[in-house]
Amino acid sequence: MAKEVKARIRKGSIWSGTITIGLVNVPVKLHAMIFDKSVAFRFMHKTDNSPLRYEKVCVKEDKVVPWEDIVKGYEVRKNQFVVFDKEELRAALPESDRRIRIDKFVDYLSIDPVYFERSYILTPDGNGEAYSLLLKALEKMGKAGAGRITLRTKEYPVLVYPYKNALILTALRYAYEVADPRDLEELKELKEPEKEELDLAVKIIANLTGEFDIAEYKDTYKQKVEELIQKKMKGETIVVEKPVKEEAKELMMALQETLQQLKRK
Amino acid sequence: MPEKLTKVDFTNLDKVLYPELRITKAKIIEYYVKLAPKMLGLLAERPIVLTRYPNGIDKEGFYEKDAPLGTPPWVETFTKYSETVDHSVNYIVCNDLDTLVWLANLAALELHMPLSTRKSVESPDLVLFDMDPETPAGIDEVVGVALLLKEKLDSLGLKSFVKTTGKKGLHVVVPIASGHTFKQTRDFVHEIGTELAVESNMVVSESLKSKIPGKVFMDYAQNSSGKTMVCPYSLRVTPQATISTPLEWGQIKKGLKPVEFNIFSVASMQDSPWKDILNEKQKLEVE
Repeated sequence: MAKEVKARIRKGSIWSGTITIGLVNVPVKLHAMIFDKSVAFRFMHKTDNSPLRYEKVCVKEDKVVPWEDIVKGYEVRKNQFVVFDKEELRAALPESDRRIRIDKFVDYLSIDPVYFERSYILTPDGNGEAYSLLLKALEKMGKAGAGRITLRTKEYPVLVYPYKNALILTALRYAYEVADPRDLEELKELKEPEKEELDLAVKIIANLTGEFDIAEYKDTYKQKVEELIQKKMKGETIVVEKPVKEEAKELMMALQETLQQLKRK
Repeated sequence: MPEKLTKVDFTNLDKVLYPELRITKAKIIEYYVKLAPKMLGLLAERPIVLTRYPNGIDKEGFYEKDAPLGTPPWVETFTKYSETVDHSVNYIVCNDLDTLVWLANLAALELHMPLSTRKSVESPDLVLFDMDPETPAGIDEVVGVALLLKEKLDSLGLKSFVKTTGKKGLHVVVPIASGHTFKQTRDFVHEIGTELAVESNMVVSESLKSKIPGKVFMDYAQNSSGKTMVCPYSLRVTPQATISTPLEWGQIKKGLKPVEFNIFSVASMQDSPWKDILNEKQKLEVE
């Protein structure tokens, strides 16, 4: 078996409320499930290696504005704003009633993955009877609950479905947030491939068909940067390698890479 | 002008050697270049045998033991009397990237290696369990037998390594310390094969030539000084351009599909499961 690769779980919950299905309530807590793992850099001052701070500067007075004097403006047209103070916007917030309202049950596989935004783990809040019942029933039916949740300032469409013996909530994109590829001109008149070419492509795909294992994928840029960080910490200087010319043949690139690998051994 | 990357002068790079997948010689050389870091350690110091298909696998090919005319002076060779052809043979020894690239440029699709190095030709450093099915048995049956074999070797405290042959069989290899003879390794494999044949009526401890339908053959006679095994990561002459691919034991299970290991998929594999094979110097309990 391939080694299991996963992010470390964070213990605390970020939200609690109830899933409501008609008159049935299931008390739940929401936990983070997705963790971004890119290398975070800070901006520094080149001459004295000091980190930089962000400040909000008034364009007219060229002075830093304190937090309590900041309001939000919406640019209606160039240089014309309608201004809101914090109270006004807070009043417009969607009613955060701490509910995940399930409207109906759907086949999970019928939803296009392009709409999936972010997933969260649901845990029972309280004795877990209702939670367990919902989990098992969804597992048995192979269905997902579709509904809505309000998180912070935004209301999201969501799916609630069983995964690894837990209920998962996945926030979805709105239809108006996802573009349609058919609106791209260059896709409107695609050439039909020759039968012979298609046959060859099909054979190559068949040759590369296998089980998908996400653990096989790694962010090589991140790994490289982390290696560089280790080197820097040890005080080593970093030699900047010139990127290989694009027009160079793949074979020559492979040769170059292999020669370097062999040299490192 | 950048420094020259290889001593080899490439020829006919556009020639298609695997017509069904339209794989050119350039791609074959690229494959061997990419795999060189995993292959060279195992190839080193072994007189190798080639299977060449200069005009593609649908045309005539030939088995080549002798270094061909025009072998450049920087290619290492090893001269040894060969029983099968009854004269001395100038074997090629592939100790570096240039030689491997040169072989690929010769359209030497398959590379075969002996189970010993030129330093001690008569004393093997690898023991080979060569398993092949006779229809209706297939790879699933070979997998079953390989797992029995692994259990047996484990119980003897012997670490073993497994690879697909790129066809229907599997190779299980046990690396050993110097000082053993081929007769000892041959007897050892025959003995284990016979024991497995008692445990499972699937197994026959003989060569595939015996041809009993539905059985898995464990050809102990491969453990001889004149015999070779297809190298780990060598291409095979199959329409799907399969590779004899080293695998982790965990990957050996029912449903294994040797065709999934081919020139396209193997080129991007990470670490070799066989990378430490030559560091294991094990002793066989033999007379």
